[in-house]
Amino acid sequence: MAVTELKGVSKSFGVVRVIEPLDLTVESGEFMVIVGPSGCGKSTLLRMVAGLETVSGGSIAIDGVDVTGKEPSERGVAMVFQTYALYPHMSVRDNMAFGLEMAGLPKAEREILVRKAAETLQLEDYLDRKPKQLSGGQRQRVAIGRTIVRDPKVFLFDEPLSNLDAELRVQMRLEIAKLHRELSATMIYVTHDQVEAMTLATRIVVLRDGRIEQVGTPNELYTDPDNTFVAGFIGSPQMNLIPAHVTGTDNKGHALVDVPMLDVSGFAVPLRDPTVDLPTKAVFGVRPEDLIQCDEGATSDFTLTCELVEDLGSNVFLYNAASREDAIVAELPRGTHPAPGDRVPFRVSDGTSYLFSPDGQRL
Amino acid sequence: MRRGRSWNAVLVAGLLFFVALVGLPFWWVVSGSFKIPQEIIARVPTMFPQSFTLEHYQKLLSSSDYGTYLVNSLVVSSLSAFITLLLAIPAGYAFFRLEFKGRETYYRIILLAYAFPSIVVLIPLFGMFAKAGLVDTRTALVIVNVAFALPFAIWMLRSFFASIPKEIEEAARLDGGPPLTVLWRIMIPLTAPGIAAVAIFAFVTSWTEYVFASVMILSDARRTIPVGFSGIIGQYQVDWGLLLAGASLAILPVVIVFAFIGRWFVTGLTEGAVK
Repeated sequence: MAVTELKGVSKSFGVVRVIEPLDLTVESGEFMVIVGPSGCGKSTLLRMVAGLETVSGGSIAIDGVDVTGKEPSERGVAMVFQTYALYPHMSVRDNMAFGLEMAGLPKAEREILVRKAAETLQLEDYLDRKPKQLSGGQRQRVAIGRTIVRDPKVFLFDEPLSNLDAELRVQMRLEIAKLHRELSATMIYVTHDQVEAMTLATRIVVLRDGRIEQVGTPNELYTDPDNTFVAGFIGSPQMNLIPAHVTGTDNKGHALVDVPMLDVSGFAVPLRDPTVDLPTKAVFGVRPEDLIQCDEGATSDFTLTCELVEDLGSNVFLYNAASREDAIVAELPRGTHPAPGDRVPFRVSDGTSYLFSPDGQRL
Repeated sequence: MRRGRSWNAVLVAGLLFFVALVGLPFWWVVSGSFKIPQEIIARVPTMFPQSFTLEHYQKLLSSSDYGTYLVNSLVVSSLSAFITLLLAIPAGYAFFRLEFKGRETYYRIILLAYAFPSIVVLIPLFGMFAKAGLVDTRTALVIVNVAFALPFAIWMLRSFFASIPKEIEEAARLDGGPPLTVLWRIMIPLTAPGIAAVAIFAFVTSWTEYVFASVMILSDARRTIPVGFSGIIGQYQVDWGLLLAGASLAILPVVIVFAFIGRWFVTGLTEGAVK
C-alpha cells in the first residue's frame, strides 16, 4: 500500500521523445489502468516505475521515497509481464520462492508464503510442475503468484492478459479484480484493451504519443471525455464524431449546431463551459447507444439510411455506410432487423451529445 | 508440403553419400586396428575384418609412451575447456548485458584473433614463454589453447545469452537477483546447449592442436597425443597396425566427451517461459 508519484517524468530514446514530461499520482490502494494505442508509451511508463527503464527527466517516488535512481528490487514493486517471464527450468514453487530467497528469507518461511499464494491462486496442485507443463492461464497465475508472495508496495501489470484466449481473459480479469479487492494493494495496469480498463480500474489514464490525454474514473471518461481521442478510445463501437457548424447558443448554456451529414439544424448540444468562445466549425459527438430509435409518428431528430446491420445477439448496430470510418453507427433494440435501404428515425437521448473544437478539444 | 517419392530417394542418396564420406574413414581406422598386419596391407582391401587381433593395442600400450601422451592430452584438453568456459561465460554475459563504451567495437575486435594463423605468433610466443619459464610445460599449452578458443567461445555465448527472452532476466532483476546470481541460477541453466557446444569446441581444438604442442614441449613425458603419436610413426617404415590402433584410441575420449556433454544439447529449454 503506497502512493506512487511521478513528477515531470519523461523518456527519450536518443532523439526520439517517447514520453513527454508528465505528472501522475497513483493513490494508495488504487487500481490505476494506463490505456492507449500501441506505441503510445504506456509500457515504457510502467517500466520506468519498475526501474527497468531509466527516466530521461523528472522523478518517481513510491511511498514518499524517491526511487528514481534505485534498482528495481529496491523499489518495493513487483511486476507481471505480458509474456509471463517464468523461469522455465524451475518448478512453480521455486519460481514463486526465488524473490523471497533473494531477499534472504529462510526456507521454512518461503514455503509458508508460497503455499498461501498458491492457495489464493488455486495453484496448490501444481507446485512441483515446470512452467511448460501448465496451461497459459496457469502460467499467468504463477506469474501473479510470484508478485503476491513478495508483498510489494505496488503491483505492476504489463498487458498480462493479452496472450490468453478470450474466455480465459475474462476469467483472469475477474480474478485480478478479486485479488485487488482482497489485497487492497496499489496496482498499476497497462493495457490496450478498453474493456479491461473499464472493468478493472478505479481510475484510468489515457495516453497518446507519450502525453496524458485524460485521467479519471471509467465513468468520467465515458460520460465526460476531454477530447475526441478519449471520446473515440473509450466505448465500443466508438463515439460518432461528425463535422458540424455552430450557429449560436441558447439561454440554457447549449450550443446550437447544424449537422449537414444528419440533415439536422439548430440542434442544442450541452457545453462544458457555456462562457467559452465557440468556433464556427466544430465536431459533434454522440455515442451509438445514445441514439434512440423512434416509433413511427413520434418526433425524431434525424433519420439514418440502413446500409449494414451487425447483430451481436445482445446488441444490434446499424451502419449508414459500409466502411466504419465514414459510417454513423446507432444501437438498435434487440431483435430489430431493418433491411438495407430502410430509413430509420432516431432521436438523441437527452444531454448525451458532445461538442468538440476542430482540433479535438471538448467545448 | 509433401515430397514426391523420387525427391525422397534423391535426398536419401545424398544423405548416404555424406554419411559414407564421414563414416567410412572411421570404419577403416577402427576395423583396421583389429586386423592382423597381413590383412591390413593385403593387395585387395577387406571391408570387414577377416581376422581379429589385439596385438596392435598391446604393442602400443606396452612398448610406447602412448599412455603418457593420452594422459597429457586429457589433462591439457580438459583444463583448456574448463578454463575457456570459466572465462567465456562471464565475458559473453558482460558483452551481452553490460553497456559500456565501445562494446560493439571490442566485440568485433576479439574475433581478429583468428585473422592471424597460429604459425605467425608461434615464434614471438615461444620467446615470451621462454622468458616466463613456461617452455616445456603443459601450462603453456593450456594458456595457448584457451587464448585461441576464447574469442569464438565469447562470441558464441553472447548470441546464446541474447536468445533468452529479456523478460526472464528482468523478472530476475525485479526479484532482486544480483547479476552473478542471475547468471548462475537463471542464465547458465538456460544456455546449457550453448555452453556444451563451447565446451566441446574448446576440448576438440585442444585435443587436436599440433603446432604449439610440437614447439613448446621438448620432453617426451609431456607430449600430447598428436605430437607424441606422430613420433611413433617411424621415419623409414610405417607400422600400420600400430598407427590404426593409436588413431582409434585417440578418437575414443572425444567420442566419450560428445556422449557425455551431448545430453545438454536439448532443445526447448525455455519452453513455458514466455507465451
